Amino acid sequence: MKIIFKKYTLATIFLSAVFLTGCGTTAIKYDYGDYAESYYSYKKEPGENSLKEWKSAMTEVVSNAKEKDLRVPPGIYANLGYLALKENNNIEAITYFKLEKQTYPQATRFMNNLIQKAEKANGGELS
Amino acid sequence: MRRVKTLITASFLTLIFIGLTGCGPSLTTKVKDFPKMYTEKPESILILPPMNETTAAEAKSYYSTTIETPFAYQGYYIFPNELTSEILKQEGIYDSELLYETPLKKFHDYFGADAVLFTTIKKWDVSYAVIASSLTVSIDAEIKSTKTSETLWKYNGTIVQNLSDQNSSGGLAGILVSVIATAINTALADYTKYAQVANARIINSAPYGVYHPNYMKDQNMEIIDQTPAQNNQ
Repeated sequence: MKIIFKKYTLATIFLSAVFLTGCGTTAIKYDYGDYAESYYSYKKEPGENSLKEWKSAMTEVVSNAKEKDLRVPPGIYANLGYLALKENNNIEAITYFKLEKQTYPQATRFMNNLIQKAEKANGGELS
Repeated sequence: MRRVKTLITASFLTLIFIGLTGCGPSLTTKVKDFPKMYTEKPESILILPPMNETTAAEAKSYYSTTIETPFAYQGYYIFPNELTSEILKQEGIYDSELLYETPLKKFHDYFGADAVLFTTIKKWDVSYAVIASSLTVSIDAEIKSTKTSETLWKYNGTIVQNLSDQNSSGGLAGILVSVIATAINTALADYTKYAQVANARIINSAPYGVYHPNYMKDQNMEIIDQTPAQNNQ
């Protein structure tokens, strides 16, 4: 009797382990918020306003991620860096590019290329 | 007599079995159709500007805005589209056939991308007919390795929405489309919503990427087999 009981217990434990891991965290921990919608609006009607909205959607994604302890999704820091670069805020751009590669090592090579570009642009501005 | 009965029962069961397996679209698993995704394990994907085979000129830039986030949610590192398009434009290969002649290794050299995603907009239009008008969005997608230039994954997503009678479109896709298309009468031309549904179909067939909790756990997940169509191309 004891042995049978043990067998059942083991089976139950095994099954619940399978079951629990099976329905654990299956969703990815990102939240792009209004990123795609505002990006689409920007492409549809490029202009100062749509660009502003796209940018604020991205800064919102970052603050939301920090609040909820989520990973900032791929490309957000890089895009913010790119917008900073376009506004000649080279130091800010470099900060963002570094954040992107810290969050995603897959971005390292690309970000290093962009950082180099921004550093050059900054040097040009200073001289 | 009993033997005959057994035989009849057996053949009947076989028929039922054949009937059941023959029904509906044929299924396969992710690993069966895309084994190289699991051996090469690309972590980062560079989305290249879509090839537009339609007459809708705006489709190219609009479609690009719908494809980044679903692939990221699937677990891949996705290079930011606006930034990469800008660089491809500077290199003079964004709008030309040159892009597709560029050796894929170059995308690894500059961006560090493990793989590239080619997309082709096959259809992006409304066809008007006497009895029924319909909106069609059809996208081909293909992931290629920047190391071997081999195709690692390939899938098509097509959405056909009947514009005359929204309630008649059947199946899950029909429900999905009618849910998101409540404003269809006022915004007929908002194709991006349909592109999103087409993307969802495409991406569900792709193995999960490195940032997804189910990375390397979905080999046996069932997907609709599209390989016969691939062989025809």
